[in-house]
Amino acid sequence: MRKLPYLAKEGIKNLWHNRTMTLASIFVLVACLLLTGLAVLFSMNISNAMQDLEGNNQVTVYLKDEVSPQESEQIGKKIEAIENVASIEFVDKDRALENMLNRLGDDGTLFEGLTEEENFLPDSYKVSFRDLSLYDQTVKEISAIDGVESYTDYSEVAEKLTRLDHLVSVAGVWIVIVLGIVSLFIIANTIRVTMFSRRQEISIMKSVGATNGFIRIPFVIEGICIGVIAGIIASAVLYFSYSAIMDSISGVVPFIRLIPLEEILLKAVIAFIASGIVFGTIGGSISITRYLKREGGSIIIG
Amino acid sequence: MIEFIDVSKTYPNGTHALHNINLKIDDGEFVYIVGASGAGKSTFLKLITCEEKPNSGQIIVNGVHLETIKKRNIPYLRRNMGLVFQDFRLIETMNVFDNIAFAMRVVGTREKEIEKRVPFFLKMVGLSHKAKMFPSELSGGEKQRIGLARALINHPKMLIADEPTGNIDPAMSYEMLGMLSEINKHGTTVVMVTHEHVLVREFPHRIVEINNGSIVADSSLMQNPAAAQSAEPSETSEKGGGTDA
Repeated sequence: MRKLPYLAKEGIKNLWHNRTMTLASIFVLVACLLLTGLAVLFSMNISNAMQDLEGNNQVTVYLKDEVSPQESEQIGKKIEAIENVASIEFVDKDRALENMLNRLGDDGTLFEGLTEEENFLPDSYKVSFRDLSLYDQTVKEISAIDGVESYTDYSEVAEKLTRLDHLVSVAGVWIVIVLGIVSLFIIANTIRVTMFSRRQEISIMKSVGATNGFIRIPFVIEGICIGVIAGIIASAVLYFSYSAIMDSISGVVPFIRLIPLEEILLKAVIAFIASGIVFGTIGGSISITRYLKREGGSIIIG
Repeated sequence: MIEFIDVSKTYPNGTHALHNINLKIDDGEFVYIVGASGAGKSTFLKLITCEEKPNSGQIIVNGVHLETIKKRNIPYLRRNMGLVFQDFRLIETMNVFDNIAFAMRVVGTREKEIEKRVPFFLKMVGLSHKAKMFPSELSGGEKQRIGLARALINHPKMLIADEPTGNIDPAMSYEMLGMLSEINKHGTTVVMVTHEHVLVREFPHRIVEINNGSIVADSSLMQNPAAAQSAEPSETSEKGGGTDA
């Protein structure tokens, strides 16, 4: 272990001597990390949005306008009697309006002047389901009840989001695989260049009895440094671009509540740097192992 | 001790480099390996340093059978060998001190020990005043002395020198041979490949001549018939047995 500071210094020296290739590797690795990160974040946001939508398995059941308070109570009892219904909550039209105004915030000023008579929102029940897989059957039973006008059907939106999530995941996986291979290849090549420029040192190391493990360490450290630097840059880029990207997405799909940056930043930084290290280590190891196997054995005596 | 028993080496491209080599070099010996280019001298050294494995026969170095040695044990075997090269193989970007210290660092010697031992060896090769210089500022002879200091710094049991005087002027070559002989006197085995007959005559030691992959002459066998027998293991056992009876 006492050799480590010396070996680390050698690895960092390698980076500097070989800076053009180092930069190229860092750049490609940053691209790879960012795309991976964005795909993961997109996916996380979608599943987050889906949870919001499902709202603890809730469906809003709207009652017909002409339904009297007594009738609506009857309807509530009938809904409650359905086996898959866990609980219900009555929301009268006034509270519905209030809720909507709250939700819309400043955008809601248009509706502020509405009087009680003008309130176009119906009374409704928030119904929680026990088992979401019985969704179709349960909503059918509910809509069959007299006085029920309609219910919010999130299934279609959820389905679309699931499909989108799936698409992003599949595309993301492929992009990551391709870019991952490319970055490994470039890192391995970068380190191979260093290795060739230091082949005499390697031969001398071997001649005085350095183990392969020892010879490998500076090159692996070089790879790790590339990984760490790429991880830090990718984190910084993510930090500055996340809000911008997500803003534009929320413009298209407004009801999605985004995961706040603070919640994911630390995880993203750790994940970026960790995967940078993994990539760097593998890239460094590939080239030095191949070199030691192919040429490293016969360089002691010309 | 280095012992070759019926060793043959053919390269994958079909070159028969060595054929049926039997040779024993005892601890503390000084042996010149001579022969024309392509005779098999380099292959001989490569077999000793474990860069190549023999196709048949046995090679025993310091009690270790090299034909069956595990790859991971090779570095530890090499730590008992000091290597000196014809082209010096100094690292141009390191100064003299670091070139020598490098050999200690890669085997994990403490810095404190390096600070102590390197100046001692620099003094031994007479280059204490050039510790901070870079190889490009040194003459061929000086470079080779640094190479020698580096080879000796880890206290190897044997020194393997591949034409160490091939790139230096005659006066320096004499000095180099003088140093090698001195080192040998202190108990280090020296195996030196050379072309230079003048030096060999001037500093007489055992001479083994390789030609076309076979040993064609061994001065120790000519002077000492007993050694001739021990170099042929199969005969030795037969004759030895006969004498005892």
